[in-house]
Amino acid sequence: MDEKVKVADRGKTLEDLKQTDADLRLPSVVEPAHFPIETLAPEARQQTPAVGQRATRPDGRLHGLGQTKYIDDITFPNMLHAKIKRAGIAAALIKSIDTSEAEKMPGVMAVLTGNEIPVNSFGPSYQDQPVLAYERVFHAGDGVAAVAALTEQIAVEALDKIKVEYEPIEAVFDPMLAMQEDAPKVHPPHDNVYATKAIKKGDVEKGFAEADKIFEGRFSTQMIEHVPLEPHASIAEWDGNGRVTLWSSLGRITLGRADISRTLNMPINKIRIVGTVVGGNFGGKNEITTEPVLALLSKKTGRPVKMIYSREEEFIASTTRHPFIMDYKTGVMNDGRIVARKVRLVLDGGAYCSWSETTLGKACILSAGPYNIDNLHVEAFCTYTNKTMAGAMRGFGAPQVCFAYESHMDDIAHDLGIDPLEIRMLNAFEEGSLSPTGQVLQSVVVKESLQTAAERFGWKEFSK
Amino acid sequence: MTDVSMTVNGEERTASVPPETTLLTVLRENFFLTGSKLGCDVGDCGACTVLVDGIPVNACLMLAGQAEGRDIVTIEGLANQDGMHPLQQAFENLASLQCGFCGPGVIISAKALLEENPDPSVDDIRDALSGNLCRCTGYTKMIEAVQDAARIMRGESADEAA
Repeated sequence: MDEKVKVADRGKTLEDLKQTDADLRLPSVVEPAHFPIETLAPEARQQTPAVGQRATRPDGRLHGLGQTKYIDDITFPNMLHAKIKRAGIAAALIKSIDTSEAEKMPGVMAVLTGNEIPVNSFGPSYQDQPVLAYERVFHAGDGVAAVAALTEQIAVEALDKIKVEYEPIEAVFDPMLAMQEDAPKVHPPHDNVYATKAIKKGDVEKGFAEADKIFEGRFSTQMIEHVPLEPHASIAEWDGNGRVTLWSSLGRITLGRADISRTLNMPINKIRIVGTVVGGNFGGKNEITTEPVLALLSKKTGRPVKMIYSREEEFIASTTRHPFIMDYKTGVMNDGRIVARKVRLVLDGGAYCSWSETTLGKACILSAGPYNIDNLHVEAFCTYTNKTMAGAMRGFGAPQVCFAYESHMDDIAHDLGIDPLEIRMLNAFEEGSLSPTGQVLQSVVVKESLQTAAERFGWKEFSK
Repeated sequence: MTDVSMTVNGEERTASVPPETTLLTVLRENFFLTGSKLGCDVGDCGACTVLVDGIPVNACLMLAGQAEGRDIVTIEGLANQDGMHPLQQAFENLASLQCGFCGPGVIISAKALLEENPDPSVDDIRDALSGNLCRCTGYTKMIEAVQDAARIMRGESADEAA
C-alpha cells in the first residue's frame, strides 16, 4: 500500500497512524514521568487502513514481558484458598456428608456443601447441573464439598477429612446403551435423550432406489478436553454491603453474571464480574464453574477466596468436546454423483446438557458436507451418560461430522476407483447452491479452494 | 520452615518457606515474580520455565531448597532500562503470542537456546521449544520470532524472514 495514502481525508497518513498506534502502547520500561503526560488517542470514527497491513497484538508486549495479570497472578490481603472435593464415583446417592473433622483443622476457615447454595443448579439451556452435588452424584468429577483455608495445601488436606457416604447406583457410560428404553436414567424422571434434531430434504428412500451403489459407514470420535494452558480460575470477594465481586477466567461474563445471580438468588446488580485476560478458552470457559461456591465461601469468611483448578480437575470437572457416533448411508451413481444421504448422529453429552443443543444443531446442519445432495435425511440425538459433561469447543460439532463425511467420501471414491479430488469437485457446492436447510449460499469458492490447494501441495504428483 | 537464598535476576533474595515448597511457588508467592506460570504442575507444559545457572528448568518440579545458592533468571529479568530483550521485541512484532500464558516459558527456553547457539536452524528451535506447550497453536510465529531475535542479536537485520 502507498505509505502516503490519505485516510478518510483527515490529512493523516499511514505513517501518522502507525505513530499513533506506537504512542498508545505501554513502554517496556517506564520512563521518568514528565508532567503533564500527553495522551494520544485516535479520533472517533477514524478509518484505518487495516486490510493488507501487518498487525501486532496490543497485549503482546505485556505477555512477552511476563506482566499480564491472569487470575493466579492477582492476590489480595488476607486471601484464602479454596479446593473442591470431587465425588470420584460416577453415579450414586449421597447418604451423608460429614465435614466436622475438616472444620476442626487449624487453618480451615469455612466449608460449604450443596445444601447451602440458594439455587443449586445452573446451565446455559437446561439448568440440570448442580453447583455442588447434593443427594445425587451424576459423574465422577462432581464437586461434593468445598473448603476455604489459609493455604492451598491446608485446603487439600482438609478435603481428605471430609467423609461422604455414597450408595452406588447403576451408571450408564455408552451413549448407544443410554438411548435404550431400559437404560438407567441419569436424571430421573427425565429421559436420557434430551435433545433431538432432524433435517429432511427431498425423498431419501427414492434417492437410494435410484442410486447405482449404496455405501454405509460408521464413524466415531472421542471426548477431547480443551486443555487451556491457564486452568479455570476465580477470586470472589463478598463485601460488607452484600455485594460480591468476582475476578474470573470466564469467557462470557454477562451470561455468567445472570447464572451467578440465579444460583445465589440475589439481584444481578449486586454482582460484579471482572473478566481478566484469559489464558486460553477454546469454548471451555463459557460457563460458570466455581464462582457461586467462592462467593459463598467469601460470605462465610468475610475474606477474598481464590480457587485455581488443578490440571486433573480441568480434565474431570470442566466441559469437553462431545464424542460422536455417526452412521452414514450414501447413494451414488457410478460416475460418483451423490443422489441420497442418510445421517444418524448420536452425541454423548455426558452428565449435563451444557452447550449440547448448540452443538447438536450445528453438527446436523453441517453433517452432509459441502456437497449438493438432493435427497437428505439427518437425525440427531443427544444423550446423558454418567461421564464428564460435554459442552462448547471450537467448531461446536463441525469437526466431528467433517471427519465422518470426508472419510466416507474417501471410502466411496476408493471403491468406485475415482480420484478423491475429482469426486469432491463433482459434488461440491457452487454459487447459489442450497444448503441442507434451504439457505441459498453466496460467495462459494469450495471448488476453487480445492483446486488451488491441490496445486499448491502437489496432489497430482502425490497420487501418482 | 527452611531458609533459602538465591540470586534472582541479579538480586540476592531470601525466603523462609516450608521444605516442600517449589521454586515456582517461591518465585511467585514470596518474590511476587508472577511472570512464570503454573500450567500443569507436573512438568509437562513448560509455562513455569526459568533459567537455573543458565539452564532452562521447570520451576514447578524443582524444590526451592534445590535452588539454594543458584543463579535464577525469570522472564522479569530480561527487559532492562535500555528496553526489551530482542526476543521480547520479536515476539511482539510478529504477534507470536495469543493468550500469552505460555509466552514467558517459551521466551526463557528460546533465550537459553540463543545463548548456546546464536545461529539456530528451525529444527534447533523446535527442539529447544519442545518442552513448551502452546494451546493456541502459535508455534510457527514463535519460531519466526526466535529467528528474528537471533538475527538482531548477531547484529543483522531482522526483516529477512518477515
